[in-house]
Amino acid sequence: MSNPESTPQAAASSTSPPSHAGHIHTPLCRSCGAPAAAPAPAPWTGDSPPPAYRPIRMPAINAPTNTAAIVLSPVPQPLPVPPASPPFAFQAPAKRIASPDDIARFKDSTHGRHFLGFVASLSASVHGRKLSDPLPSPPSPAVSALLDLISALSAFVASTPPFPHSSRYGNPAFRLWHEKLGDSVNELIAPITATAASPSDLAGAEVELAPYLLDSFGNGTRIDYGTGHETNFAAFLYCLARLGLITEPDYPAVVLRVFASYLDLMRTLQDTYLLEPAGSHGVWGLDDYHFLPFVFGAAQLIDHKYMKPKSIHNPDILENFSKEYMYLACVMYVKKVKKGPFAEHSPMLDDISAVPNWKKVNSGLLKMYKAEVLEKVPIMQHFLFGSLIKWED
Amino acid sequence: MPPHGDLDRQIAHLRECKHLPEAEVKGLCEQAKAILMEEWNVQPVRCPVTVCGDIHGQFYDLIELFRIGGESPDTNYLFMGDYVDRGYYSVETVSLLVALKVRYRDRITILRGNHESRQITQVYGFYDECLRKYGNANVWKYFTDLFDYLPLTALIENQVFCLHGGLSPSLDTLDNIRALDRIQEVPHEGPMCDLLWSDPDDRCGWGISPRGAGYTFGQDIAQQFNHTNGLSLISRAHQLVMEGFNWCQDKNVVTVFSAPNYCYRCGNMAAILEIGENMDHNFLQFDPAPRQIEPDTTRKTPDYFL
Repeated sequence: MSNPESTPQAAASSTSPPSHAGHIHTPLCRSCGAPAAAPAPAPWTGDSPPPAYRPIRMPAINAPTNTAAIVLSPVPQPLPVPPASPPFAFQAPAKRIASPDDIARFKDSTHGRHFLGFVASLSASVHGRKLSDPLPSPPSPAVSALLDLISALSAFVASTPPFPHSSRYGNPAFRLWHEKLGDSVNELIAPITATAASPSDLAGAEVELAPYLLDSFGNGTRIDYGTGHETNFAAFLYCLARLGLITEPDYPAVVLRVFASYLDLMRTLQDTYLLEPAGSHGVWGLDDYHFLPFVFGAAQLIDHKYMKPKSIHNPDILENFSKEYMYLACVMYVKKVKKGPFAEHSPMLDDISAVPNWKKVNSGLLKMYKAEVLEKVPIMQHFLFGSLIKWED
Repeated sequence: MPPHGDLDRQIAHLRECKHLPEAEVKGLCEQAKAILMEEWNVQPVRCPVTVCGDIHGQFYDLIELFRIGGESPDTNYLFMGDYVDRGYYSVETVSLLVALKVRYRDRITILRGNHESRQITQVYGFYDECLRKYGNANVWKYFTDLFDYLPLTALIENQVFCLHGGLSPSLDTLDNIRALDRIQEVPHEGPMCDLLWSDPDDRCGWGISPRGAGYTFGQDIAQQFNHTNGLSLISRAHQLVMEGFNWCQDKNVVTVFSAPNYCYRCGNMAAILEIGENMDHNFLQFDPAPRQIEPDTTRKTPDYFL
């Protein structure tokens, strides 16, 4: 490290450093012309060279990837959600994950394993089921209440039109939508907790449940949405399952009705307020926003008679079946909003289309969700822990 | 062979959007490291210079940027970080910029963005891309080791302060920045992290950033910083703006974003800021480049699906 004026490279170069870099002068404020408060920084001199840099290396987190390890890693399996029992001690949930060590702790914790097992159970519950298929059992009161919640939030969109002009991509009217969510979140949750066998046990549950819901539809300040927000919606559902409000017979309805409505609402929010893509991996991810509809959508297509993973390249199939299968709807959405060659803006979806069958796609996506979402600090630093999803020290 | 024959060949190769062999990337990064370690945390830059924001692997749009703004080294350039992640061509993009830096060190300045980091590139695409294009993570390692040496900020003619993100409550003066130990991975918090992560905000004072790193700072903070350091303007990138540039905080701060139709979908324009010989400002906006060639579309089954 040396004064650039004295380095041979700079001396020999066609562009020399600023002529005044070597002089001390009192800078003037550019707006008012008064002398600026701090004197100009003194240039480095031979007598007082800049401090030597101390190299600090941070180890790579999980690199390099070991193909064999990924291939051999087990496919996440369905697990029953451990029921919570009264008396409950609800608390406002907080963020806990800040480092790869925290990720390792979460991964091996009770709720780290069971949350992933819950996602796998939801996925397993819709094998071979179309969106319009009759449900195996009538929707439970909690499922109906969840659908009402999504409808109410959809109605907020109609009453909160986007602002006509915005210098940012994200439309600031989303903040108003998000405020409406915040203002009514307790009233939105109450009908769900009211479906409990003993609703009085759930008094005060909003304190713990509301933050998950508030983080499920994107960030109001940043006007963005990504897989972390989607994961918080799944965590909200997991909390309801822990409280016994959702049980395993409800799972097909939770995916094909509740999650499908959530996805519809998210598409509306993304399109109306131009939520900035916060999804990870850029082109190397699935799409800029979502992950779980690909997991559930692939499960729907397992053992389908003629639709194969490569069928996503057939526009007629997309056109005719995207109403019934979430995976196809997601691919169609990507093709609608993205410009350019599919293999360039969506190389993962293109690669996955070469996988021989949907079972492989579904199991691969579950492995990928575990590794690329639930085990990544930048995503999981926003994950919330309370009494239902307990952080284990 | 002429003195720069090898480099000139590499640059020509990269301009065709073809990535270099692994061994050449290693050599290039070693040369670049030797140059960047001579640069300062607040790298002095002379006008005229053209200031650019995020690129994010949009290689063809970078070529379009050079077509609009003038080819390097005929035009002096200052890039404010975020070369990699999200787009399909991070490898080609960062290789070209680093090769230009090695070839024309005084004609191009490349700063560090929050995406020039080991942790972020493992989540936002550059790592995946290196694995996909080279079959191993070596090239990712060469580049992320090099990123530790990138300067954090630049100062054009002692007047325009350029950096990726924004200000830090721990840094009142440029001298505070000069005293940082920058040769390290971007930390999770602290002054170096703030410079790469912070955003201007409509509210006064310092705020908690919803990004989970850095801060938001109000117009009062930017005004005070500019006054204290005798600056006319803070030029930064880091945020998608629809016109490609956006003045804010009573023209104390400008955001420049140089990735058009971000993520292939956002429909935004890109912009670059020309700072002329008399420190005059001129913005050039541009749309996505017309595509010249289709990517190699051989499908490779990702490891998770084997």
